[in-house]
Amino acid sequence: MTPLDSTAVHCTGIRKHFGEDDARVEVLRGVDYTVRRGELSFLVGPSGCGKTTLISVIAGLLETSSGEVSLFGNHLARMPHSDRVLFRRSHLGFVFQQYNLLQALTAAENAAIPLLAAGVRRREAVDRAAALLDRLGLGSRTAAYPRQLSGGQQQRVALARALVHEPRLIICDEPTAALDHATGEAVMELLASAAVHPDRAVLVVTHDSRVFHFADVIAHMDDGQITRVEPGRRTDTATHLGSSRLTNPSA
Amino acid sequence: MNWVGLQMLRNDRAKFAAMIVAVSLAVFLMQNQAAILATMLSMTAAQIRDVQDADLWVTEPEVECFDQVKAMRDIHLLRVRGIAGISWAAPLLKIDAIGHSEGGRLNTVTVLGIDDASLAGLPHRMRVGRADAIRELNTAIIDPGGHELFFPGEPFQAGRSLRIRDRRIRIMGISDIAAPFTGLPMLHTSRSTAAALNLGEQHMTSFILARSAPGSRPEALCQKINALGGLRARTTEQFAADAMWFYGSQGVPMLFMITITIGLIVGAAITGQTFLMFIKENARPLSMLKVVGTTDRQLGTMILLQGTVVLVLGSCFGSGIAAAVCNLIRTQPFLRSLYLPWEIALGTCLALASVTGIALYASYRHVRGLEPAAVFTPAIVTCAA
Ligand SMILES: Nc1ncnc2c1ncn2[C@@H]1O[C@H](COP(=O)(O)OP(=O)(O)OP(=O)(O)O)[C@@H](O)[C@H]1O
Ligand SMILES: [Mg+2]
Repeated sequence: MTPLDSTAVHCTGIRKHFGEDDARVEVLRGVDYTVRRGELSFLVGPSGCGKTTLISVIAGLLETSSGEVSLFGNHLARMPHSDRVLFRRSHLGFVFQQYNLLQALTAAENAAIPLLAAGVRRREAVDRAAALLDRLGLGSRTAAYPRQLSGGQQQRVALARALVHEPRLIICDEPTAALDHATGEAVMELLASAAVHPDRAVLVVTHDSRVFHFADVIAHMDDGQITRVEPGRRTDTATHLGSSRLTNPSA
Repeated sequence: MNWVGLQMLRNDRAKFAAMIVAVSLAVFLMQNQAAILATMLSMTAAQIRDVQDADLWVTEPEVECFDQVKAMRDIHLLRVRGIAGISWAAPLLKIDAIGHSEGGRLNTVTVLGIDDASLAGLPHRMRVGRADAIRELNTAIIDPGGHELFFPGEPFQAGRSLRIRDRRIRIMGISDIAAPFTGLPMLHTSRSTAAALNLGEQHMTSFILARSAPGSRPEALCQKINALGGLRARTTEQFAADAMWFYGSQGVPMLFMITITIGLIVGAAITGQTFLMFIKENARPLSMLKVVGTTDRQLGTMILLQGTVVLVLGSCFGSGIAAAVCNLIRTQPFLRSLYLPWEIALGTCLALASVTGIALYASYRHVRGLEPAAVFTPAIVTCAA
């Protein structure tokens, strides 16, 4: 396997600014950044340094001012808008700080959204999502609505939503920021065990230094640039705890 | 995805209900006003259309509707009868007189004198009694509204009488004709009875009713009669249309149209505004859907479906209420002709749907413009416009 094959995300010279003239803010100032398959990569840095902007660019949600992003060898910026949406739908999963669950849907239905968007029949999509929730320890709450769930439970539903369609890259923005330490720790543990897979990359943006020990790699960002990349301390036991169970490719 | 959209709509009960109420009320208001307008206009032609045995109406040239009466000379009747292709022609006399009931009620009545020999123009549907009983002198049949006016609250039955110009007219039955635009009681009598009530006047014929012979086109016969000069012949439908146009062009429909337009604008504005608010308040979930790969097309279909559900449910409720109110009003004898044609019911719903469609399109534009990346920020999602 050549080094390029193991690359999930590859960013070179990414620049991004918002506004023009007096209002112009340079948010990304030439970011070079790589995330490899099978890795749980952390992106950390002070507030306002551009972490969210960078992952939005990686996910193809924001245009860059200059630079190149490739995801598994695909250049999203060069794709037509509609293809980019479809690429995101099948290859990317997202976990947000605010969970962003639909209040109108149950836990299982929320987790099934990527499948529904892809046109999987509702019954099948919800069944698959419910099975996944069961494996994430929420088997008894699949029919609950978000307002009936705790923050940690809601984030687990969001995690299921990010995993249900077996994406190749999972992007998490501050997944533990709204949770207390113990709950955050539990969610990270679940993320580390359920999401990490040899063929998949997991990119986590966080402030929360208490969960840094889950990382394989930690990239430090400051003022719109990656300043330092260091190995993390994730133990191998955590890596393979549940990943083989949870990532049945035919599911 | 459509199912997700419906769940979102259902979950926002307050707005869902507000939109359905707005659509229902607008549809009800528009249908009710349009039905009254249509009924009023059709009432101006009702006495013309009620005559089904004749298919031609011949009048003095300046007559535009059933309520304009100008005495016709008897020679005209002979001239019409002389036209090839006319199967028969009969006079119809229309006069107004004051009627008194035994109970002391007094009202102007319209008396229609039907040709004694042919009985052409006799009501073809009766509620009580037989129409041809009017052959007997000083008898008449009365319409339900007239009966209610002279004998309020009494059951429909024959045998009562009215005093008109010092004659006692016996009521032999109750006709089932459409309510007249004038709201006056309609008495059908024989022409000789009517003429006796009209004593001292030269007026014996107000209209000539005629029937085309099999094989002759009524329109062609009209042309032949008009060519005689001094007469105006129209088919029943032409005369009915002229009558409706005559009243319709006098401004009253404008007043109804104003109310209908207000209903349309207010209904569409409230529905559209609420829908747009519903979409804007759901900006965050919708952005999330965009992030996870829902296409603009899927979102557009979702909005269309949500809008359709609101419009269809609201239209059904609104039309149901309008129909129920219409049926309630029709129990009044004078308002018995009120009707809600399906064309009006459908037309009002479609009109509201098309105006509300603008808001649906605006909502779609809003969703398209949502910046999906904003979903990462804990703050409120903004629109990239
Ligand atoms: N749409 C925008 N328009 C203008 N400025 C923006 C926009 N989005 C982000 N910024 C600015 O870009 C900078 C980086 O924002 P970003 O959200 O990427 O930071 P962050 O590292 O994720 O911060 P935090 O840790 O607080 O989430 C900030 O100064 C922010 O104000
Ligand atoms: Mg951020």
